[in-house]
Amino acid sequence: MTTAFACKKQISSSVTNAPNNYLVVNGNIAPDDTTTITLTRTVNISGKANSKPELNASVSIEGSQGDHYTLAPNSNGAYVLAPVSLSATQNYRLKITTSEGKQYASDFVPVKNSPPIDTVNYVIQAKGLQINVNTHDPANNTHYYRWDYTETYIIHSLYNSHYMEVNHDTTAPRPADKEIYQCWASDTSSTIVLGSSAKLSQDIISAQPIIAIPSSSEKIHIRYSIRVKQYALTTDAYNYFVLLKKNTEQLGGIFDAQPSELTGNIHCLTNPSEPVIGFVTAGSVTQQRIFIDNANLPAWQADLPFNGCSADTLVYIYTIPGSRPPQLIYQVNEFIYTDVMIPIDYVDAFYPNNGYTAAFPYCVDCTIRGTNKQPSFWK
Amino acid sequence: MKIFYTLIIMLLSASLVTAQNSPVKPISVNFQQAGTEQFVKDLELKTGYHFYYNSTQFDSLKVTLQLSDKTLNEILNAAFRNTGYHYTIVPAKLWVFLTSDKEIHPLVAAGYFTPKPGQVTINNTAPVTDLTATVNKPAIESTIENKLYEIGIKTNEVKPGNATISGYVKEIKSGDVIAGASIFVANTKTGVVSDKFGYYTLSLPRGRQQLIVRAIGMKDTRRQLMLYTDGELNIELQDQVTRLKEVKISADKVANVRGVELSVNRLDIKNIKQVPQIFGETDVLRVVLTLPGVQSVGEATTGFNVRGGAADQNLILLNDATIYNPAHFFGFFSAFNPDIVKDVELYKNSIPEKFGGRLSSVLEVTDREGNKKSFAGSAGIGLLTSRLNVEGPIIKDKTSFIFGARTSYSDWLLSLLPAEYKHSHASFYDLNLDISHQINKNNNIYITSYLSNDNFRLNSDTTYNYSNQNANIKWKHNFNNKFFGVLTAGYDGYKYDISSIQNPVDGYKLKFNINQTNFKADFTYYLNGNNTIDFGISSIFYQLNPGDEEPYGNGSLVVPDVVPAEHALESAVYLGDKYDMTDDLTISAGMRFSVYNYLGQQTIDNYAPNLPRSPNNVVDSTTYGKGKIINTYSHPEIRISARYNLSDDLSIKAGYNTLAQYIHLLSNTTAISPIDVYKLSDPNIKPQYGDQISLGLYKNAKANTIEASVEVYYKRINNYLDYKSSASLLLNQHIEQDVLNTQGKAYGIEFSLRKTAGKLNGWVNYTYSRTFLRQNDPNAGELINGGAYYPANYDKPNAFNFTGNYRFTHRYSVSLDVTYSTGRPITLPIAKYYAYGSERVFYSDRNAYRIPDYFRSDFSLNIDGNAKVNQRFHNSWSVGVYNLTGRQNAYSTFFQEQGGAINEYQLSIFARPIPFINYNIRF
Repeated sequence: MTTAFACKKQISSSVTNAPNNYLVVNGNIAPDDTTTITLTRTVNISGKANSKPELNASVSIEGSQGDHYTLAPNSNGAYVLAPVSLSATQNYRLKITTSEGKQYASDFVPVKNSPPIDTVNYVIQAKGLQINVNTHDPANNTHYYRWDYTETYIIHSLYNSHYMEVNHDTTAPRPADKEIYQCWASDTSSTIVLGSSAKLSQDIISAQPIIAIPSSSEKIHIRYSIRVKQYALTTDAYNYFVLLKKNTEQLGGIFDAQPSELTGNIHCLTNPSEPVIGFVTAGSVTQQRIFIDNANLPAWQADLPFNGCSADTLVYIYTIPGSRPPQLIYQVNEFIYTDVMIPIDYVDAFYPNNGYTAAFPYCVDCTIRGTNKQPSFWK
Repeated sequence: MKIFYTLIIMLLSASLVTAQNSPVKPISVNFQQAGTEQFVKDLELKTGYHFYYNSTQFDSLKVTLQLSDKTLNEILNAAFRNTGYHYTIVPAKLWVFLTSDKEIHPLVAAGYFTPKPGQVTINNTAPVTDLTATVNKPAIESTIENKLYEIGIKTNEVKPGNATISGYVKEIKSGDVIAGASIFVANTKTGVVSDKFGYYTLSLPRGRQQLIVRAIGMKDTRRQLMLYTDGELNIELQDQVTRLKEVKISADKVANVRGVELSVNRLDIKNIKQVPQIFGETDVLRVVLTLPGVQSVGEATTGFNVRGGAADQNLILLNDATIYNPAHFFGFFSAFNPDIVKDVELYKNSIPEKFGGRLSSVLEVTDREGNKKSFAGSAGIGLLTSRLNVEGPIIKDKTSFIFGARTSYSDWLLSLLPAEYKHSHASFYDLNLDISHQINKNNNIYITSYLSNDNFRLNSDTTYNYSNQNANIKWKHNFNNKFFGVLTAGYDGYKYDISSIQNPVDGYKLKFNINQTNFKADFTYYLNGNNTIDFGISSIFYQLNPGDEEPYGNGSLVVPDVVPAEHALESAVYLGDKYDMTDDLTISAGMRFSVYNYLGQQTIDNYAPNLPRSPNNVVDSTTYGKGKIINTYSHPEIRISARYNLSDDLSIKAGYNTLAQYIHLLSNTTAISPIDVYKLSDPNIKPQYGDQISLGLYKNAKANTIEASVEVYYKRINNYLDYKSSASLLLNQHIEQDVLNTQGKAYGIEFSLRKTAGKLNGWVNYTYSRTFLRQNDPNAGELINGGAYYPANYDKPNAFNFTGNYRFTHRYSVSLDVTYSTGRPITLPIAKYYAYGSERVFYSDRNAYRIPDYFRSDFSLNIDGNAKVNQRFHNSWSVGVYNLTGRQNAYSTFFQEQGGAINEYQLSIFARPIPFINYNIRF
């Protein structure tokens, strides 16, 4: 009956159509390491793109005692500073002047260096693998932590291709450096992981969950590695991240919770009422990497992304059986030379019945999902 | 004919006096409060006459007399002056007959002149007298305007000073008591209003007095009194002859100016019925929404906001039973059966001391008492619901019942919808059964019960079911005519469940219930003419099951999840005095002290001090045993109001009150939906406290037919719960982690104008009000809008209401209802960006935007079958259109992702003109 007497219609209010173009600033001022600050612009809520980079701004870091460092722009809105030595007794802030001349500055933030990560370990659970981090601050001074991570893991193609197409008119045995059976895929964290020891008498984080990997995940099918980075946060930064995590996961419906605006520590100096999004922190980052071999895990069945894969035999000239006049299909020409399918093995027969077994690229070519160059850290 | 009889009586009475002259030698007497026996013995001794009289009729006579050298005639004349007693001297036999009334004479009995219902009373100006009321005698039933009713122990001379009368105001036909009737002493400013039992107590000077009695829907009337001492007088009033003849908005025409209460609105069911209603269904709460200072967040909700309070800050009472969900079908209909309801009273500022436990208002809905004299009933047929009510005496004039039932049959409507909705289902019913019994004139028993049930499934697999259950028993005892008490014991329950079996593996049933057992004792003592004292105690024991999810259906793999039950005891004592300092100044002052105990069995998480209540900050937890007091809150509550009459029709009133609320409604939506969760205060969730100051100016004009008022208020609220972003409330074992304490402030000005009589009557009001909340505790972990004040969800600054009725003839009238208000605030996502590995949405400040303004007009034509009083059936029709202009008022705007883009949608309810027709029959 609600439907009988209710009506839902799409509207476009001035709010959503307004060219909202707020500056988004994120990054960590890292002493003794490369500092990367990203500048982007929000996009319209109904737009297809999810952000656009802010180019040609001048970005600098200013110390409370007058130090000054200028960041170099990158092509994608990132602004980079080579490692400098920052003083733990000073506070630092970010200053930005955009290409249109507007000035922005962050609050002064203290340098909060992260204590070392004690261990990153994993726990085998019924549903899969739980990666945890353990850390502590002997100085009892950190209390609030954030982690992000990069996962790298070996993936295999379904079929191991020994041949390759060359110049769209011939094939050749696949050389070792064009190997596409084994690759290293990589993911970065898409959720914000936070921890606090504020209620504890000692600054210890024990078995903080970082990510849970389902037992059927391809990530742990062969060999898996995760590098966890640990950031120390101020109370303000911690609260900001808690809110950001909660606030940005759902849209406002009739029966949904009401979110609220999230303001970080960046302000527009030219127009103080202009919202600026983002939070700049300062402090050294600690990290740790672990490797997990499938051999050390239970015999879990991986759920591999090869649905619909089959290795078909493609010959140079195929005659459709029973067709009069005979209809011919130049299968190698049509499918392999055009890269529609990738050859796997040679099928030995008399021309034109010889050819290759072949499959669609996603079944054969792991570089679609990763790189076949072994990362330098891999061992 | 009547006038003829009256003349005969007058002539006979006159001749009687002359006939009583008799030659007896003069004697001297000296009586001080002499009883009849002493009086008669003395006279028999001195005169030699023998006196004959009925001692029971004369046991209340007290004679104070000092005379010398007077005849027996003169002495008896003096002794019986101003009394109903008469004497007849038979000198031949030396007999004296003393009589009460005139039974010794060949005259018609006085009671003959009591008119039958509906008849016109005559102006009999003769000093017809009645039985004297004394202790252990039945109260005088007064029905005639010009008859002189004698009250108290008759004395030949009336002592100066005040006496107290008390009694019930009743409807003459049904015997139903009339609450809110005003009883005023003519030519003074002394007056009272009958309470909800129809009971009144009035202190006034002894001697000859005239009372003016007015009640809503009743003919104005007068009573002539001869007041000797304290006594009882029941006043029976006659109904307006036709229902629509004259509609009075206020119970009491002068209460607007003269009552001490501030910001109290009383609506009689007749006012409510003339407002055009959706689907022709009279809806008590929708009419409440037209009162100044009352707002709602949206169309399909009967949760309402009074003066910037939240929806859960209203105490909704049906015959003293707490109704937790006053709505049927997600708020499309209110849960009160209009055929049973007698009146509705909304207290916005002057909340009497006896009420407590909610911050904003008390909405008191009172059912009629069943007809004590004859069987009656009514039935109504509408598009979506049908109603039936039956009432009548069980023991005539002593015990009566009233039964009301409503049920919906809206499934047929759903079946007309396209196939995709054919699995929808919606039904509800409610039942009322009330019994009242008069044990004797000092003891009454009232039993009331209520049951409502809703069941619906909307185009989905999820079934909602909810129910209110209430029962209570009241015993009213009059200790004497200055002191009475009411003992109430009752049970109130509310429960709902949500179940789904769409996916057998996920089949679940989620259950919630809250039960309260109440006991209270309320006493009223009329200390003297200037002071009315109320005092009492009350206690509520809560049992609350916050959530219980269980597997539902075969093959469900849902793991049962039970949030532990909560228990608490809320008790209060109160004392209040209404003090008439002068004719023009009345002060009502009281104190309520409430105590709240949160009880085991329960496990309480202890959080580290000065840190947000988050899972990370739980230090440890403490488990308390069953019935153990976990913690106690208490709060003294002040209730003060005063009225000063600037002139006869102009007064100024002021009020201040403080309140405490120990139960919270957790709802992170903007409307009350049946899936909200109640939460009792506990060590981590503090009670809500609030106070309000209010000032008003009241003016009546044109013989009290136009009432105007302006009221301003300022209100503070502490510890109102707002929600952290993305709070999760259902099945939450640690609700304190998802809520924030906020401070609120609300202020406003309300203009109201009412016309209570004439062909055109109705009310119009305009309110400007603001309501803000603030969360500025940095330790809470989340500052809303940077700790600044933000508008509450129901902050609607401008509100205008017009409700009018124009009567062409006694049979035809039209009603128009116009509502305008500012759109309510809303938080909108205004931009998106990419950060920390995913797309994120940027929201505006909380409640920084508003949905479009609300405007609606409704129209109805009411046709009464005919206006004859004495016929078997009365029928009436009502046809009309809801939302005449078809404006698509936004209920909500929201955002949905579709094909990778986020689009904005507006949801409107009743977005086109909806015609309705309704047929009612009374028998």
